[in-house]
Amino acid sequence: MNSANDFDLESLVHLEQTFYDDGYKDGFDHGRIHGLIEGRALGREKGFEMWEELGFYEGFAVLWKMICARRVGDSNERIMNHINQLLQLISQFPRVNPSLTSSSADVDIPKLFRQIRSRYKILCSTLGVKPSLRSADGAPSEEDFQEDSNPSTRQPVWKVDEQSRVATGQSLEF
Amino acid sequence: MESPWDDNPSSDTTRDTEWTKISSEFTNAGYREGITAGKEAALQEGFDAGFANVGAPLGRELGILRGFASALLSYIPTLSQPGAIDPNVDLEQMLSSARHIASSLSKVRFTDIAPRDLEAEEHAREHLDAEGIDMEQNPDLEEKRTMEGLEDLLSSMTTSGSPSQAGPKRPTIEDVRSLEEQLQTIAHYVQLDIPNDLN
Repeated sequence: MNSANDFDLESLVHLEQTFYDDGYKDGFDHGRIHGLIEGRALGREKGFEMWEELGFYEGFAVLWKMICARRVGDSNERIMNHINQLLQLISQFPRVNPSLTSSSADVDIPKLFRQIRSRYKILCSTLGVKPSLRSADGAPSEEDFQEDSNPSTRQPVWKVDEQSRVATGQSLEF
Repeated sequence: MESPWDDNPSSDTTRDTEWTKISSEFTNAGYREGITAGKEAALQEGFDAGFANVGAPLGRELGILRGFASALLSYIPTLSQPGAIDPNVDLEQMLSSARHIASSLSKVRFTDIAPRDLEAEEHAREHLDAEGIDMEQNPDLEEKRTMEGLEDLLSSMTTSGSPSQAGPKRPTIEDVRSLEEQLQTIAHYVQLDIPNDLN
């Protein structure tokens, strides 16, 4: 150990790696907590926003279905048809992000959302009711969805958006 | 440059300093990289959990109520022809309550009724204790909160004229429950029974 010849550069490099790895592991554990917290905040908000709108259509359809159920007539049958189609579409909409359930990962979310909105509008016009535009205005726009051009990658339908990811990565201070 | 393994006792302090410097430099570098990687790796998992466990069910519940209110609003005026309903029922008054319920429900925000994220609060507290700083919030959500704050300010200005006063009280989950009951009452008047639980 006394002479410079004994100095083992290899072991020093290895030591540096050990320090780095220890730090990395601790950092990763801490970062994971932050990722879960932030992801959860986004997912809560997004799930609420989407299902608040869908729930509105659902509640509207369900109540009108009850009203129509005690009426008779041809026009009523037509309305019933529209209601059932709308409810059917809503029932296809995932309540869990499809990245977890592979069976629903094929659902084209933006397309389904468009279909539901136009079904709702059709139902309104059949009923002679003015559609509620408030929900359509504040509704998530197309850009909120990341359409996956390559279905084989099986990416989750709602991906935490790149931009906020980058921005928050920078904001972490330690 | 002095080697950290230099046995010369006189350089003990230097050696220790050097040692600490090397170790903390690499540990910190690893920590920084690790925190970014750990965060990236967990974001989607957190998102999915928040979506499925809180956001979607809570949003759906509120949305359904708002949909019921909207359906009642469009149904009640169709009852105006004579004989359509019990003449003792005041349609105008029902219509105005339904309108009130619909508009109150549409003002409810996620933050008004969301359950607390205790784990997030706990972790934010740890940061505050350790470093005296608040945890950073996601910029998208931060922006949304700022917008909501502005909305509150504007509505308090138009209603009371004095923005210095505290804004209107935000609705709570109890308010939503009460609106749900009022909705049920109106529905009963027009012989409808609002389902409590849709699956």
